[in-house]
Amino acid sequence: MSIDPVGVAAASRWFGSRGRVRLAAPLFCAAVLAISLTVAQAQYPEKPITLIVPYAAGGSSDLNARVFTTFINEYLGQPMLIKLVPGQAGQKGTLEAVRSAPDGYTLLFTDNYRDQLHRYTFRNDAYDTNTDLVPVARVNYGEIGIIVRTDGPYATWAELEADARARPGQLTMSHSGLWVALFVPALQIMNNLGLQLRMVPYRGGGPAKAALMAGDVDVSMAFPATVAADVEAGRIRILATAGPERILEGVPSFAEIGLPATTGFMHRVVMAPAGVPEDRLRVLREAFARVQAEEAYQELMDQLGENTEYLDGVDYELVRRQQSNDYRELAESLLEQ
Amino acid sequence: MIETLLVGLDAALRIDTFVWISAGLLLGMLMGSLPGFTTTMGMSVLVPISFLVGDPLIGIPFLIGVYKGGIYGGSVPAILVSMPGTGASIATVFDGHELTKKGQPRKALEMGLYASAISDFFSDVFTLVMIIPVAAVVLNFGPPEIASVMFLSLVIIAVTSTGPVIKGLIMLCLGVWLGFIGADPFSGMARYTFGTNELYDGFHLIPMLIGLFALPEIFNAVKEGDRSGSRIAFVGERLRLAELKRSLRTICRSTVIGTGIGLVPGLGQPIAAMMGYIAAKNASKTPENFGKGELDGVAAAEAANNAVNGPTMVPLLTLGIPGDAVTALLLGAFMMQGLRPGPTLLETSGETVFAILIAMVFANVLFLIIGYVTIPLFARVVTIRRSLLIPVTIMLAFAGTYLARGNPFDIVTLIGFGLVGIAARTARFDVAPMVMGFILGRELEYTFGQTLALAGEDWMRFAFVERIGMTAVLIATPIIGILLGTRMNRLRQRAIAREQA
Repeated sequence: MSIDPVGVAAASRWFGSRGRVRLAAPLFCAAVLAISLTVAQAQYPEKPITLIVPYAAGGSSDLNARVFTTFINEYLGQPMLIKLVPGQAGQKGTLEAVRSAPDGYTLLFTDNYRDQLHRYTFRNDAYDTNTDLVPVARVNYGEIGIIVRTDGPYATWAELEADARARPGQLTMSHSGLWVALFVPALQIMNNLGLQLRMVPYRGGGPAKAALMAGDVDVSMAFPATVAADVEAGRIRILATAGPERILEGVPSFAEIGLPATTGFMHRVVMAPAGVPEDRLRVLREAFARVQAEEAYQELMDQLGENTEYLDGVDYELVRRQQSNDYRELAESLLEQ
Repeated sequence: MIETLLVGLDAALRIDTFVWISAGLLLGMLMGSLPGFTTTMGMSVLVPISFLVGDPLIGIPFLIGVYKGGIYGGSVPAILVSMPGTGASIATVFDGHELTKKGQPRKALEMGLYASAISDFFSDVFTLVMIIPVAAVVLNFGPPEIASVMFLSLVIIAVTSTGPVIKGLIMLCLGVWLGFIGADPFSGMARYTFGTNELYDGFHLIPMLIGLFALPEIFNAVKEGDRSGSRIAFVGERLRLAELKRSLRTICRSTVIGTGIGLVPGLGQPIAAMMGYIAAKNASKTPENFGKGELDGVAAAEAANNAVNGPTMVPLLTLGIPGDAVTALLLGAFMMQGLRPGPTLLETSGETVFAILIAMVFANVLFLIIGYVTIPLFARVVTIRRSLLIPVTIMLAFAGTYLARGNPFDIVTLIGFGLVGIAARTARFDVAPMVMGFILGRELEYTFGQTLALAGEDWMRFAFVERIGMTAVLIATPIIGILLGTRMNRLRQRAIAREQA
């Protein structure tokens, strides 16, 4: 629905002369009717869409969102505007998304830990992510890797594991903050293999990596892309990567070292408040699917070290249910201690 | 190395690069001068422009321009209406706003600009030349060292605050306690939140700063009303060359302090500005003038906070480690241009990196020119009639607070801290130690917690073998504290004696 400003000017000039008012009234009515009809038929979206990003400015999620929102307006016909709502470990932004009208004009950019794990670790009566949010699309995912210094004592995971077993609570591991990307898989590893590491928090993945390189801690975790330059320079060694299969040559997968295949995946997901009309969800999903196919987008994401493994919201819902069970067990096992 | 530098220089001397830096600087200054609109927010909005341009020698210098402009822009409202937009401009308020009240806003703004540009220039040159040798040193600063330096800073701030040391200590402790409000950084448990969700993240710094520094000024202005005449505010005189020359020593000192602090990831601009200011006050022959409109104070604070900018690029470029949110955005911008910061960056794309660093050095010259052109415009703000300026300032205070994170609770915080500020002023308590206590207390707690986690059981070995640097700073802290404290006391008494004479 767009009104040609020139037309408006012409109309006001025309209506301006008093003698024509009588004639103007029915014409005006007709015009209003015509406009309202076009509104009814107008294609969603007819105004900009707000994407709530519950992270602080400057983080990797902020950056990811900036990349795909730059491309998606071409496929939606409307811009997607980022609204950063950091705070309360992401709960503030999530709550705002849950409480917004389910008309497809407010979406949420989140990840699996905030979506499924934090329900157990940060108790909250205000919303339930499972009933209040529906997945639109998974934008991409990352597989975590276990990293050590090359000049350190560990050449393989087996050596590290043996040392950790011999000296429980002595080895230190740096992570990027409570209940997020590095911390959760580390807990899962310790739980599954019966290990005990001393966890040292840092503000983000960068400082956590710095702590490893400085020799302040013995082991850390990272998404392989974020340490690619360090691996190339021979400073950091990746001991294992998440998933059922190997993704790097000569580096065992988590399945090989005795971990469940789902451990250590971080999914970046766009959600919508529950109750968004099906046809609007379809429009959104299609737009995300088409962005993922665009070459320029793939190139930028590749340079950021992110993949473009799009997954439709319907399929992601299945992944989500599985996570919900896994994380409940994980949280319970910890909160009991 | 020299060859790479020359190729880089050749690549950096491009007219479009300079045009984009200028655009970035101008945008940054405008954003920085809006209270509540932080440099980080501005850059995060502008990052897509940089990657759509597709040329690393345009996109990244553009963002660096935004960064530099933003840091300086923050000092404009600090000087004009006593409204520090970020922690970096707290120390600028002390003397900058006093100068405005004396009818010399232009002088203060010009001193701020020259001090910022000079120190930024030299810290960037330092970064350019020393990036390779310094990179190895940076990694040696971990949480234990940061914690000890923060503790030392707190002690220095407490003993050098204006007025009796005990009052400074009280305010400092109050600030540290305020920092404890909110989620415990290690367990996520809520502390002192009285069961409210709003306090879970603790108080936000921006409403606190605006409340403590700007609202009492507004309150005073309203109380005075038109009695003092509506034309007390002038653009004032320009800065004289002699005045700049007199402050050159201070600018140099602050540049060194700021550069040093910038090298340690995690210390940041608020500490640099504060330490630069305190060092200048300590070295001054007339320390009693500080806080009453001393040009040297503006120079000290502004030079120190801008000198931090350059060295933060060292860990970013050589190790791929961003020290703060701004450098994290730059990291993303580099990566999207196909430059992957880390140990191999200088080998694989040394020329581009040096070209960017050289563009960063030149950006300071543009910075000087653009700042010089915009100062008369900014300074004119205070010549608006008081009956108009005061409502506009109030609006800015509230809008800026809301803009910062769009949280209605921050308005309550603003008013609350406004009342605290007014009360503190009436009772002659300095609010600066409280704010610094708030900023540093949180960080100190976090780094101390990290240190404990790192130390484990064998803490003797940890403190005296592995982390001897931390222990050295901790041993020196009381000595420095006592020496500074007695010196400050002597100076204060001398000033009182002089006044009585």
